[in-house]
Amino acid sequence: MKRFAWQWVVISSLVTGVVAGTAAAGAETRPQYGGTLRVAMHAAPASLDPADRTQADSFARRNLTFLIFETLVTADAGGRLHPGLAGSWQASSGPTPENQRWQFQLRRKVKFHDGTALTAEVVAAALRVANPGWKIMPESDSVVIELEQSDPELPAELALPRNAIVKRTADGKLSGTGPFRISDWQPGKKLVLAAAEDYWKGRPYLDAIEIEMGRSFHDQLMALELGRTDLVEVAAEQSHRVTMEGRPVAASEPVELIALLFAHDAQTPAEKSLRSALALSVDRGSIRSVLLQGAGQPAGSILPDWMTGYGFVFSADADLMRARHEREEVKIAPAWTIGYDPGDSISHLLAERIALNARDAGLTLQPTSAATADLRVTRIPLVASDPWIALGEVAAAAGLVRPATDGRSVEELYAAEQTMLTTQRMIPLFHLPAAYAAGASLRDWKASADGGWDLADVWLGPGNGMQ
Amino acid sequence: MRAAVYNSIIPKVILNTVKRSSRPVFCLRVALCFFLLLPGLVMCSLAADWSVPEQQLARKIVAVTGPGAVALTVENRSSLSKRESEIVSDGLHSVLETLGLRFVKPEQAVATVAISLSENPNAYVWVAEIRQGDGKVSIEMVSTPHVDGVVSAHDSLPLSIRKIPVWAQEEQILDLLVLEENTTPTHIAVLGAEDVSLYRSQGGKWQREQALAVAHARPWPRDLRGRLIPGKDHLLDAYLPGLICHSTNGTPLALNCQESDDPWPLVAGSAGGGVSANFPGVVASTLPAIPQVGSFFASARNFFTGALAPGVGKFATVPKFYSAAFLPRGKYVLWLFAAVDGQIHMVDGVSDQPARLNWGSDVVSLRTACGAGWQVLATSSGGPGSDSMRAYEFPDRDAVPVSQALDVGARVTALWTEAKGDTAIAVTRSGETGSYEAFRMAVGCNQ
Repeated sequence: MKRFAWQWVVISSLVTGVVAGTAAAGAETRPQYGGTLRVAMHAAPASLDPADRTQADSFARRNLTFLIFETLVTADAGGRLHPGLAGSWQASSGPTPENQRWQFQLRRKVKFHDGTALTAEVVAAALRVANPGWKIMPESDSVVIELEQSDPELPAELALPRNAIVKRTADGKLSGTGPFRISDWQPGKKLVLAAAEDYWKGRPYLDAIEIEMGRSFHDQLMALELGRTDLVEVAAEQSHRVTMEGRPVAASEPVELIALLFAHDAQTPAEKSLRSALALSVDRGSIRSVLLQGAGQPAGSILPDWMTGYGFVFSADADLMRARHEREEVKIAPAWTIGYDPGDSISHLLAERIALNARDAGLTLQPTSAATADLRVTRIPLVASDPWIALGEVAAAAGLVRPATDGRSVEELYAAEQTMLTTQRMIPLFHLPAAYAAGASLRDWKASADGGWDLADVWLGPGNGMQ
Repeated sequence: MRAAVYNSIIPKVILNTVKRSSRPVFCLRVALCFFLLLPGLVMCSLAADWSVPEQQLARKIVAVTGPGAVALTVENRSSLSKRESEIVSDGLHSVLETLGLRFVKPEQAVATVAISLSENPNAYVWVAEIRQGDGKVSIEMVSTPHVDGVVSAHDSLPLSIRKIPVWAQEEQILDLLVLEENTTPTHIAVLGAEDVSLYRSQGGKWQREQALAVAHARPWPRDLRGRLIPGKDHLLDAYLPGLICHSTNGTPLALNCQESDDPWPLVAGSAGGGVSANFPGVVASTLPAIPQVGSFFASARNFFTGALAPGVGKFATVPKFYSAAFLPRGKYVLWLFAAVDGQIHMVDGVSDQPARLNWGSDVVSLRTACGAGWQVLATSSGGPGSDSMRAYEFPDRDAVPVSQALDVGARVTALWTEAKGDTAIAVTRSGETGSYEAFRMAVGCNQ
């Protein structure tokens, strides 16, 4: 047997050359443990408490919540429910009406990050904070929830981040059962998370995650270019440019609704005609091309088409003739103020562009950054992937009556959405995706359809993207 | 109380076709079965029954229009194939006609009906927009759950890799052990994260005989791995990180698990006694005996620590690795370790030569009747969400591909040589559905 060092050198060179040329590019390896993931985000939440209703719903908040905390039930991107901290659940059909009394059997051997066990008492206490109106009772290793009314959507409701199970201590500290525990928290600035070694679903591959908050989209991209961060958000309107610059962008399905939201219901037939005129005057196609740089989808529906399958039925096309006709039904049209968030440049541009469109139909809209306005350009994140829950959340954000959830069919969902639109309280404009850009070292990363992260499953490899 | 909202999915079983008694016959049968069954499988997948939603939507449409002349269009906005959407379109036309509609040009119609075949994450949604003469627009819709598709694969060149479905289920599969087989497996054990399930095929139907719980105190690591090995004097052993389970000998069967850092066997089969015991077709005198090398598995991770027992020549340890394969040579055995750093370490007992072969992290050795007789099956990334597999030979010490890369259509989560050494069990996880499938991977001779 001949075994000389020089032979090995020649052979390994040949092997590398020959095989690398023939094998599939970008060979995959099993996930590797270790490393710190650096993330930047635009949002700057002042609290990590999922039940803190003073904090606006956002994808960033949801994603942060699910790194640290977990819910009894989880929903995948398609809205399908799966066991979370509850291994099973059932609704009673005894003396109480159907779907009014629910029992959730807790998973065993789950521990909070402080080392204490997940118990029915702690779960009940956490849910009471988030839902003061519910009657919640711990029963052995299960939790019973009794509602005032029947609600078949309760399991889906419990999958929402605000219903995450949090253990709150007297000194205000929060403890969760999720894949990462809080290591350092500087509200609104920085969050450092460490892997939960005893996480019941298996320790995450990453050792730690450092999240910088309150960073502009521009700063985030710069940090990514300079290799100072591994995962950043990309504003939807910048996705095209970033992609053209050679940086792959991972986008979710459209999960954010941009809509015009009126401050109050239409009071008179004249007001209804004027709102119809406004809805028909908005040239969403041009706005999408120019302001949004091709991102997102023009929307005539509240829920995006991918979520329901019928969204296309609601027309998003401008019809200036009909808009003028509707406008002419009313003798004198008042001038409306259209509000926008001064910290959101797209919102400002949209308000100005819509005012121009409206003028073509004979309407007068005055953009304003003031807190009060007749109508506002509003962003509503669809943080629930269950369409019924998502519709209910939009209704709550718009000040509308939540749709009844007795039915589950797509026809009933369509009817509920149509009822909400008939109020003319809101005019849907666009559905936008959540978009992210990642460094080459981040592996097994993908933006899920609902814009969620799953950072427990990502891992860090060599920076050049090749093994 | 009524039934729980969440119910675990009932496992679905797929056929298996490998005869192990004669290699030429085996190759022929596999090839025949593959080519005969494939069109059947594809046809089965295409033959979805759309009649119920077709009739539902047709009735709703006619309830609005009444019988008469309509202009009908059908547009596919969903993931349905062109062929499938044509089938649906034809079906809708047929049912509507039965219900009294006549199809005419728009200018002759009393109503226009635009049907869109759409979908959401859970179901196909078919929407009919009906415009009647008075300008009134009605919307009618029905939905029907998605149906699963079938993925097929093909191969060519000196050798070919064949992927034979054995088992599929929603829950994680770590390994699968064929306990008995005739022309097809008739008795199998499936290692999951929480149990070993035994299934027996009777009259063409698989039935779960028993589920043996895998008792473990600590949470499993992410990317959980495990292996089933046939026992010498009992049915099987299960190796999981930090845990080894032995089945009992009596009936009913039980599984005794205990925390253990004992090494996992790296050589297929448990009969021991060198290569001839593991690979009956090999003439033992021409090859060195293969020691039953094992390696310690990191109890909280997804890799072998690199400590070998016994060692390979002078090497008692090698770098941390995910998987190993071996190739018997005239006077020594060449070991290949797929290391955690992405390199393949070739260890012959005297030297350890790392090479960056662009392979994935799972390798196995197969002893076959094809080519040089020994092949290494290695995974590689076939693209986003999908891995591929390819067979290699080592005429000297350079890896020569001897098959086309087979795109397995999903991520390979496990790859272990079967006890007899001529096939391997591969487990894949679908990126779309998250479900697991176990395949028997066989290398076939093309020439």
